[in-house]
Amino acid sequence: MTSYCRPAILSPKVQQGESKQSFPHCIKQPCSFPKIPQGRLLKSQRKITMSSKRHSIVPPVSQSGPKPPVQFSSSITISDSALLTGTNLIAISSESVIHPRAKLDSLAGRINIGRRCVVHERSVVGAVGTSGRITEAAVTLGDYVTVEVGASIEAGDTVIGDGTTVGVGAKVGAGAVIGKHCTLTPHTEIAAGEVVPDFTVVYSNGLRRPDRRGIAELKNKGQIRQIDVLRRMIPSNPAKFD
Amino acid sequence: MSRRPPRGEYIETDTGNKVARKATLVGTQNIMLGGKTVIQPEVMIRGDLIRSIQSSSSSASGAAPNNTAVSIGRYCFLSRGCCLRPPGRLYKGAFTYMPLRMGDHVFVGPGSVVQAASIGSHVHIGARVAVGEFAIIKDYVRVLDGTVIPPNMVIPSFSIVAGQPARLIGEVPEGGHEAFELRDLYKTVGNNPQPAPS
Repeated sequence: MTSYCRPAILSPKVQQGESKQSFPHCIKQPCSFPKIPQGRLLKSQRKITMSSKRHSIVPPVSQSGPKPPVQFSSSITISDSALLTGTNLIAISSESVIHPRAKLDSLAGRINIGRRCVVHERSVVGAVGTSGRITEAAVTLGDYVTVEVGASIEAGDTVIGDGTTVGVGAKVGAGAVIGKHCTLTPHTEIAAGEVVPDFTVVYSNGLRRPDRRGIAELKNKGQIRQIDVLRRMIPSNPAKFD
Repeated sequence: MSRRPPRGEYIETDTGNKVARKATLVGTQNIMLGGKTVIQPEVMIRGDLIRSIQSSSSSASGAAPNNTAVSIGRYCFLSRGCCLRPPGRLYKGAFTYMPLRMGDHVFVGPGSVVQAASIGSHVHIGARVAVGEFAIIKDYVRVLDGTVIPPNMVIPSFSIVAGQPARLIGEVPEGGHEAFELRDLYKTVGNNPQPAPS
Protein backbone atom coordinates (compact mmCIF):
# COMPACT_ATOMS: atom_id res chain seq x y z
CA MET A 1 0.00 0.00 0.00
CA THR A 2 1.28 3.40 -0.82
CA SER A 3 2.20 5.63 2.02
CA TYR A 4 -0.05 8.38 0.94
CA CYS A 5 -1.14 9.43 4.32
CA ARG A 6 -0.52 9.04 7.93
CA PRO A 7 -3.28 8.79 10.46
CA ALA A 8 -3.74 12.15 12.04
CA ILE A 9 -4.07 12.22 15.74
CA LEU A 10 -7.24 13.97 16.70
CA SER A 11 -6.38 17.35 18.04
CA PRO A 12 -7.44 18.31 21.55
CA LYS A 13 -9.90 20.68 19.98
CA VAL A 14 -12.03 17.79 18.92
CA GLN A 15 -12.59 16.79 22.45
CA GLN A 16 -13.87 20.17 23.43
CA GLY A 17 -17.47 19.37 22.79
CA GLU A 18 -19.33 16.46 21.37
CA SER A 19 -20.91 18.31 18.58
CA LYS A 20 -18.01 20.58 17.80
CA GLN A 21 -15.50 19.02 15.60
CA SER A 22 -12.36 20.38 14.21
CA PHE A 23 -12.75 20.54 10.54
CA PRO A 24 -9.78 18.96 8.85
CA HIS A 25 -10.30 15.62 10.41
CA CYS A 26 -13.69 15.15 8.91
CA ILE A 27 -12.92 15.67 5.30
CA LYS A 28 -10.89 13.86 2.86
CA GLN A 29 -8.38 15.69 0.88
CA PRO A 30 -9.96 17.02 -2.25
CA CYS A 31 -7.13 16.95 -4.66
CA SER A 32 -4.27 14.46 -4.77
CA PHE A 33 -5.64 11.01 -5.10
CA PRO A 34 -5.03 8.49 -2.41
CA LYS A 35 -5.42 5.09 -3.87
CA ILE A 36 -7.83 3.76 -1.33
CA PRO A 37 -7.84 0.04 -1.90
CA GLN A 38 -11.48 -0.61 -2.59
CA GLY A 39 -13.31 2.39 -1.32
CA ARG A 40 -14.58 0.04 1.34
CA LEU A 41 -13.15 1.82 4.31
CA LEU A 42 -15.55 2.47 7.09
CA LYS A 43 -16.51 6.05 7.63
CA SER A 44 -14.70 6.19 10.91
CA GLN A 45 -11.57 4.84 9.35
CA ARG A 46 -11.76 7.28 6.56
CA LYS A 47 -11.98 10.10 8.97
CA ILE A 48 -8.53 9.58 10.29
CA THR A 49 -6.78 8.51 7.15
CA MET A 50 -5.89 11.94 6.08
CA SER A 51 -2.66 13.70 5.73
CA SER A 52 -1.83 15.55 8.88
CA LYS A 53 0.01 18.02 6.71
CA ARG A 54 -3.06 19.38 5.03
CA HIS A 55 -4.14 22.61 6.55
CA SER A 56 -6.46 24.08 3.96
CA ILE A 57 -8.77 23.13 1.20
CA VAL A 58 -7.84 25.45 -1.52
CA PRO A 59 -9.08 24.44 -4.93
CA PRO A 60 -6.38 25.02 -7.53
CA VAL A 61 -6.35 28.49 -8.96
CA SER A 62 -6.91 28.59 -12.65
CA GLN A 63 -3.98 30.27 -14.26
CA SER A 64 -5.70 31.65 -17.30
CA GLY A 65 -3.86 33.94 -19.64
CA PRO A 66 -0.20 34.69 -19.95
CA LYS A 67 2.27 34.74 -17.09
CA PRO A 68 3.43 38.30 -16.56
CA PRO A 69 6.99 39.48 -16.00
CA VAL A 70 7.41 40.48 -12.37
CA GLN A 71 9.69 42.70 -10.38
CA PHE A 72 9.42 41.91 -6.69
CA SER A 73 11.26 43.39 -3.79
CA SER A 74 12.84 40.69 -1.67
CA SER A 75 10.84 41.68 1.41
CA ILE A 76 7.32 41.25 0.03
CA THR A 77 4.84 38.63 1.16
CA ILE A 78 2.81 37.06 -1.60
CA SER A 79 0.61 34.03 -1.14
CA ASP A 80 1.10 31.33 -3.74
CA SER A 81 -2.61 31.29 -4.43
CA ALA A 82 -2.55 34.90 -5.53
CA LEU A 83 -3.35 35.28 -9.21
CA LEU A 84 -1.03 37.19 -11.47
CA THR A 85 -1.86 37.45 -15.14
CA GLY A 86 -1.14 39.76 -18.03
CA THR A 87 1.61 40.69 -20.42
CA ASN A 88 3.12 43.76 -18.80
CA LEU A 89 5.36 44.18 -15.81
CA ILE A 90 3.98 43.82 -12.29
CA ALA A 91 6.20 45.64 -9.82
CA ILE A 92 5.70 45.26 -6.08
CA SER A 93 7.80 47.36 -3.72
CA SER A 94 9.16 46.42 -0.35
CA GLU A 95 7.11 44.91 2.47
CA SER A 96 3.81 44.80 0.60
CA VAL A 97 1.46 41.91 1.25
CA ILE A 98 -0.67 40.14 -1.34
CA HIS A 99 -3.32 37.88 0.22
CA PRO A 100 -4.41 34.55 -1.27
CA ARG A 101 -6.76 34.85 -4.26
CA ALA A 102 -6.01 38.49 -4.90
CA LYS A 103 -5.80 39.10 -8.61
CA LEU A 104 -3.32 41.38 -10.31
CA ASP A 105 -3.90 41.74 -14.02
CA SER A 106 -1.38 43.59 -16.18
CA LEU A 107 -3.02 42.89 -19.52
CA ALA A 108 -3.77 46.58 -20.06
CA GLY A 109 -0.47 47.97 -18.81
CA ARG A 110 2.05 47.98 -16.05
CA ILE A 111 0.95 47.51 -12.42
CA ASN A 112 2.94 49.33 -9.78
CA ILE A 113 2.37 48.59 -6.13
CA GLY A 114 4.10 50.84 -3.63
CA ARG A 115 5.71 50.09 -0.32
CA ARG A 116 3.78 48.49 2.53
CA CYS A 117 0.55 48.00 0.65
CA VAL A 118 -1.91 45.29 1.60
CA VAL A 119 -4.00 43.75 -1.17
CA HIS A 120 -6.70 41.55 0.32
CA GLU A 121 -8.28 38.41 -1.07
CA ARG A 122 -10.55 38.48 -4.10
CA SER A 123 -9.68 42.02 -5.01
CA VAL A 124 -8.82 42.75 -8.60
CA VAL A 125 -6.10 45.25 -9.37
CA GLY A 126 -5.99 46.11 -13.05
CA ALA A 127 -9.41 44.83 -14.04
CA VAL A 128 -9.85 45.28 -17.76
CA GLY A 129 -12.92 47.44 -17.96
CA THR A 130 -15.18 48.37 -20.80
CA SER A 131 -12.69 50.72 -22.46
CA GLY A 132 -10.11 48.02 -23.14
CA ARG A 133 -7.40 50.52 -23.93
CA ILE A 134 -3.80 49.77 -23.17
CA THR A 135 -1.74 52.34 -21.32
CA GLU A 136 1.78 52.69 -20.02
CA ALA A 137 0.88 52.34 -16.35
CA ALA A 138 -2.46 50.61 -15.89
CA VAL A 139 -2.69 50.94 -12.13
CA THR A 140 -0.36 52.68 -9.71
CA LEU A 141 -0.84 52.16 -5.99
CA GLY A 142 1.09 54.54 -3.75
CA ASP A 143 2.64 53.54 -0.43
CA TYR A 144 0.56 52.24 2.48
CA VAL A 145 -2.48 51.54 0.30
CA THR A 146 -5.01 48.98 1.49
CA VAL A 147 -7.22 47.28 -1.06
CA GLU A 148 -9.87 45.37 0.85
CA VAL A 149 -11.77 42.18 0.09
CA GLY A 150 -13.43 42.05 -3.29
CA ALA A 151 -12.52 45.59 -4.32
CA SER A 152 -11.85 46.21 -7.96
CA ILE A 153 -9.54 48.77 -9.52
CA GLU A 154 -9.89 49.12 -13.26
CA ALA A 155 -6.89 49.52 -15.52
CA GLY A 156 -6.10 52.66 -17.53
CA ASP A 157 -3.76 55.14 -15.79
CA THR A 158 -5.61 54.70 -12.51
CA VAL A 159 -3.74 56.13 -9.55
CA ILE A 160 -4.42 55.46 -5.87
CA GLY A 161 -2.58 57.86 -3.57
CA ASP A 162 -0.52 57.05 -0.50
CA GLY A 163 -2.33 55.79 2.58
CA THR A 164 -5.68 55.35 0.86
CA THR A 165 -8.04 52.55 1.81
CA VAL A 166 -10.25 51.06 -0.87
CA GLY A 167 -13.11 49.43 1.04
CA VAL A 168 -14.77 46.04 0.71
CA GLY A 169 -16.31 45.57 -2.71
CA ALA A 170 -15.55 49.14 -3.85
CA LYS A 171 -15.00 49.85 -7.53
CA VAL A 172 -12.59 52.38 -8.94
CA GLY A 173 -13.15 53.18 -12.62
CA ALA A 174 -10.46 53.42 -15.31
CA GLY A 175 -8.35 56.55 -15.16
CA ALA A 176 -9.65 57.68 -11.78
CA VAL A 177 -7.14 59.47 -9.61
CA ILE A 178 -7.66 59.01 -5.88
CA GLY A 179 -5.71 61.38 -3.65
CA LYS A 180 -3.63 60.61 -0.61
CA HIS A 181 -5.09 59.27 2.63
CA CYS A 182 -8.60 58.88 1.28
CA THR A 183 -11.10 56.33 2.53
CA LEU A 184 -13.46 54.70 0.10
CA THR A 185 -16.05 52.95 2.26
CA PRO A 186 -17.44 49.55 1.26
CA HIS A 187 -19.37 49.34 -2.02
CA THR A 188 -18.32 52.82 -3.10
CA GLU A 189 -18.14 53.32 -6.83
CA ILE A 190 -15.78 55.88 -8.32
CA ALA A 191 -16.57 56.64 -11.96
CA ALA A 192 -13.95 56.41 -14.69
CA GLY A 193 -11.68 59.43 -14.88
CA GLU A 194 -12.93 60.95 -11.65
CA VAL A 195 -10.48 62.85 -9.44
CA VAL A 196 -10.84 62.54 -5.66
CA PRO A 197 -8.81 65.10 -3.69
CA ASP A 198 -6.53 64.19 -0.77
CA PHE A 199 -8.08 63.36 2.62
CA THR A 200 -11.55 62.60 1.30
CA VAL A 201 -13.95 60.08 2.75
CA VAL A 202 -16.41 58.73 0.19
CA TYR A 203 -19.35 57.11 1.92
CA SER A 204 -23.01 56.28 1.68
CA ASN A 205 -22.97 55.69 -2.06
CA GLY A 206 -21.19 58.81 -3.21
CA LEU A 207 -21.37 61.40 -0.42
CA ARG A 208 -18.04 62.99 0.40
CA ARG A 209 -16.52 64.76 3.32
CA PRO A 210 -12.98 65.81 4.20
CA ASP A 211 -11.09 63.68 6.72
CA ARG A 212 -9.85 66.10 9.39
CA ARG A 213 -8.88 63.52 11.98
CA GLY A 214 -5.20 63.93 11.17
CA ILE A 215 -4.40 60.29 11.83
CA ALA A 216 -2.54 59.52 8.62
CA GLU A 217 0.71 58.90 10.47
CA LEU A 218 -0.97 56.66 13.02
CA LYS A 219 -2.67 54.68 10.31
CA ASN A 220 0.67 54.12 8.63
CA LYS A 221 2.12 52.85 11.87
CA GLY A 222 -0.84 50.51 12.27
CA GLN A 223 -0.25 49.24 8.77
CA ILE A 224 3.37 48.42 9.63
CA ARG A 225 2.22 46.38 12.62
CA GLN A 226 -0.37 44.61 10.53
CA ILE A 227 2.20 43.72 7.90
CA ASP A 228 4.49 42.32 10.61
CA VAL A 229 1.73 39.95 11.65
CA LEU A 230 0.65 39.04 8.13
CA ARG A 231 4.18 38.20 7.17
CA ARG A 232 4.16 35.47 9.80
CA MET A 233 0.70 34.18 8.85
CA ILE A 234 0.75 34.10 5.09
CA PRO A 235 3.19 31.60 3.62
CA SER A 236 5.02 33.60 0.99
CA ASN A 237 6.10 32.13 -2.28
CA PRO A 238 7.44 34.82 -4.59
CA ALA A 239 9.49 32.25 -6.49
CA LYS A 240 6.31 30.81 -8.01
CA PHE A 241 5.73 33.96 -10.04
CA ASP A 242 9.24 34.39 -11.44
CA MET B 1 -15.68 0.09 -13.37
CA SER B 2 -14.61 2.09 -10.38
CA ARG B 3 -15.95 0.80 -7.16
CA ARG B 4 -15.58 4.14 -5.49
CA PRO B 5 -18.74 6.15 -5.28
CA PRO B 6 -18.75 9.17 -7.56
CA ARG B 7 -17.45 12.33 -6.00
CA GLY B 8 -20.27 14.67 -5.23
CA GLU B 9 -20.13 18.41 -5.30
CA TYR B 10 -20.07 18.49 -1.52
CA ILE B 11 -18.00 16.82 1.14
CA GLU B 12 -20.42 15.60 3.80
CA THR B 13 -18.93 15.03 7.20
CA ASP B 14 -20.08 12.80 10.04
CA THR B 15 -21.47 15.78 11.91
CA GLY B 16 -23.59 16.71 8.90
CA ASN B 17 -21.55 19.57 7.56
CA LYS B 18 -21.81 19.99 3.82
CA VAL B 19 -18.74 21.66 2.46
CA ALA B 20 -18.47 22.36 -1.24
CA ARG B 21 -15.30 21.12 -2.87
CA LYS B 22 -15.03 24.45 -4.62
CA ALA B 23 -15.00 26.42 -1.38
CA THR B 24 -11.70 28.03 -0.40
CA LEU B 25 -10.98 27.37 3.23
CA VAL B 26 -7.61 28.65 4.30
CA GLY B 27 -6.26 27.35 7.59
CA THR B 28 -8.90 24.68 8.18
CA GLN B 29 -7.36 23.66 11.48
CA ASN B 30 -8.52 26.97 12.92
CA ILE B 31 -12.09 26.74 11.63
CA MET B 32 -14.68 25.13 13.88
CA LEU B 33 -17.96 23.99 12.42
CA GLY B 34 -20.75 23.11 14.82
CA GLY B 35 -22.39 20.61 12.52
CA LYS B 36 -25.12 20.68 9.85
CA THR B 37 -23.51 23.73 8.34
CA VAL B 38 -23.63 24.28 4.60
CA ILE B 39 -20.70 25.89 2.85
CA GLN B 40 -21.50 26.54 -0.79
CA PRO B 41 -19.00 26.79 -3.66
CA GLU B 42 -16.75 29.85 -3.91
CA VAL B 43 -17.10 30.64 -0.24
CA MET B 44 -13.87 31.80 1.33
CA ILE B 45 -13.04 31.47 5.01
CA ARG B 46 -9.78 32.85 6.33
CA GLY B 47 -8.88 30.52 9.16
CA ASP B 48 -5.20 31.39 8.82
CA LEU B 49 -5.69 34.80 10.38
CA ILE B 50 -5.35 33.70 13.95
CA ARG B 51 -4.89 35.69 17.08
CA SER B 52 -1.29 36.71 17.46
CA ILE B 53 -1.62 37.88 21.06
CA GLN B 54 -3.14 35.45 23.53
CA SER B 55 -5.49 36.86 26.12
CA SER B 56 -3.83 37.25 29.52
CA SER B 57 -6.10 34.71 31.21
CA SER B 58 -5.21 31.82 28.93
CA SER B 59 -1.50 32.56 28.82
CA ALA B 60 -1.34 32.68 32.60
CA SER B 61 -2.88 29.26 33.03
CA GLY B 62 -0.36 27.78 30.64
CA ALA B 63 -3.01 25.94 28.66
CA ALA B 64 -2.53 25.20 25.00
CA PRO B 65 -3.26 28.34 23.01
CA ASN B 66 -6.69 28.40 21.51
CA ASN B 67 -6.11 29.29 17.91
CA THR B 68 -9.66 29.15 16.64
CA ALA B 69 -10.05 31.92 14.11
CA VAL B 70 -13.59 31.28 12.94
CA SER B 71 -16.20 29.34 14.86
CA ILE B 72 -19.56 28.59 13.37
CA GLY B 73 -22.59 27.09 15.11
CA ARG B 74 -25.14 24.57 13.86
CA TYR B 75 -27.36 24.94 10.81
CA CYS B 76 -25.49 27.88 9.37
CA PHE B 77 -25.76 28.51 5.67
CA LEU B 78 -22.95 30.24 3.83
CA SER B 79 -24.13 31.11 0.33
CA ARG B 80 -22.07 31.14 -2.81
CA GLY B 81 -19.31 33.70 -2.96
CA CYS B 82 -19.45 34.95 0.59
CA CYS B 83 -16.32 35.54 2.61
CA LEU B 84 -15.73 35.20 6.34
CA ARG B 85 -12.61 36.68 7.83
CA PRO B 86 -11.65 37.40 11.40
CA PRO B 87 -11.40 41.11 12.26
CA GLY B 88 -8.03 42.58 13.10
CA ARG B 89 -6.96 45.61 15.09
CA LEU B 90 -4.23 47.09 17.21
CA TYR B 91 -4.39 45.76 20.73
CA LYS B 92 -1.90 46.86 23.40
CA GLY B 93 0.36 48.31 20.75
CA ALA B 94 0.50 45.23 18.55
CA PHE B 95 -1.69 44.11 15.70
CA THR B 96 -3.80 41.03 16.22
CA TYR B 97 -6.71 39.28 14.63
CA MET B 98 -9.59 38.32 16.88
CA PRO B 99 -11.82 35.28 16.47
CA LEU B 100 -15.05 35.53 14.51
CA ARG B 101 -17.86 33.78 16.35
CA MET B 102 -21.13 32.87 14.79
CA GLY B 103 -24.16 31.33 16.51
CA ASP B 104 -26.68 28.82 15.13
CA HIS B 105 -29.02 29.26 12.17
CA VAL B 106 -27.07 32.08 10.61
CA PHE B 107 -27.69 32.69 6.93
CA VAL B 108 -25.05 34.61 5.00
CA GLY B 109 -26.20 35.74 1.56
CA PRO B 110 -24.24 35.48 -1.68
CA GLY B 111 -21.33 37.86 -2.10
CA SER B 112 -21.36 39.12 1.48
CA VAL B 113 -18.16 39.85 3.35
CA VAL B 114 -18.33 39.29 7.09
CA GLN B 115 -15.62 40.64 9.40
CA ALA B 116 -17.76 40.82 12.53
CA ALA B 117 -16.51 40.05 16.02
CA SER B 118 -19.64 38.13 16.88
CA ILE B 119 -22.91 37.17 15.27
CA GLY B 120 -25.71 35.78 17.42
CA SER B 121 -28.12 33.01 16.56
CA HIS B 122 -30.91 33.18 14.00
CA VAL B 123 -29.41 36.00 12.00
CA HIS B 124 -30.20 36.55 8.35
CA ILE B 125 -27.60 38.46 6.37
CA GLY B 126 -28.71 39.29 2.84
CA ALA B 127 -26.78 39.38 -0.41
CA ARG B 128 -23.78 41.67 -1.00
CA VAL B 129 -23.66 42.87 2.57
CA ALA B 130 -20.43 44.18 4.03
CA VAL B 131 -20.20 43.63 7.76
CA GLY B 132 -17.46 45.85 9.14
CA GLU B 133 -14.72 44.82 11.48
CA PHE B 134 -15.71 44.15 15.08
CA ALA B 135 -19.40 44.65 14.44
CA ILE B 136 -21.58 42.73 16.89
CA ILE B 137 -24.87 41.37 15.66
CA LYS B 138 -27.19 39.97 18.32
CA ASP B 139 -29.89 37.31 17.89
CA TYR B 140 -32.81 37.40 15.45
CA VAL B 141 -31.48 40.19 13.28
CA ARG B 142 -32.32 40.65 9.64
CA VAL B 143 -29.78 42.51 7.50
CA LEU B 144 -31.23 43.46 4.13
CA ASP B 145 -29.39 43.16 0.79
CA GLY B 146 -26.58 45.58 0.01
CA THR B 147 -26.25 46.89 3.56
CA VAL B 148 -22.91 48.25 4.73
CA ILE B 149 -22.51 47.73 8.45
CA PRO B 150 -19.79 50.06 9.69
CA PRO B 151 -16.98 48.79 11.90
CA ASN B 152 -17.75 48.39 15.62
CA MET B 153 -21.52 48.72 15.18
CA VAL B 154 -23.67 46.81 17.65
CA ILE B 155 -27.03 45.67 16.32
CA PRO B 156 -29.58 44.77 19.00
CA SER B 157 -31.78 41.68 18.90
CA PHE B 158 -34.93 41.56 16.77
CA SER B 159 -33.91 44.48 14.57
CA ILE B 160 -34.01 44.92 10.83
CA VAL B 161 -31.20 47.00 9.38
CA ALA B 162 -30.47 48.37 5.92
CA GLY B 163 -28.63 51.17 4.16
CA GLN B 164 -25.13 52.45 3.63
CA PRO B 165 -24.17 52.88 6.43
CA ALA B 166 -26.60 50.54 8.15
CA ARG B 167 -29.47 52.02 10.09
CA LEU B 168 -32.17 50.38 12.10
CA ILE B 169 -35.27 50.44 9.95
CA GLY B 170 -37.62 48.21 11.87
CA GLU B 171 -38.17 45.31 14.16
CA VAL B 172 -38.86 41.67 13.55
CA PRO B 173 -42.61 41.29 14.11
CA GLU B 174 -43.99 39.05 16.78
CA GLY B 175 -44.00 35.46 15.58
CA GLY B 176 -41.62 36.44 12.78
CA HIS B 177 -38.76 34.51 14.29
CA GLU B 178 -39.99 31.26 12.72
CA ALA B 179 -38.62 32.49 9.40
CA PHE B 180 -35.05 32.32 10.69
CA GLU B 181 -35.05 28.51 10.99
CA LEU B 182 -32.63 27.00 8.51
CA ARG B 183 -33.31 23.29 9.02
CA ASP B 184 -35.37 23.01 5.84
CA LEU B 185 -32.85 24.94 3.80
CA TYR B 186 -30.12 22.60 5.01
CA LYS B 187 -31.91 19.63 3.45
CA THR B 188 -32.19 21.28 0.05
CA VAL B 189 -28.46 21.24 -0.69
CA GLY B 190 -25.82 18.56 -0.70
CA ASN B 191 -25.04 15.55 -2.79
CA ASN B 192 -28.59 14.24 -2.75
CA PRO B 193 -30.69 17.31 -2.13
CA GLN B 194 -34.33 17.09 -1.22
CA PRO B 195 -36.85 19.53 -2.59
CA ALA B 196 -37.93 22.28 -0.26
CA PRO B 197 -41.22 21.54 1.48
CA SER B 198 -43.88 23.76 0.03
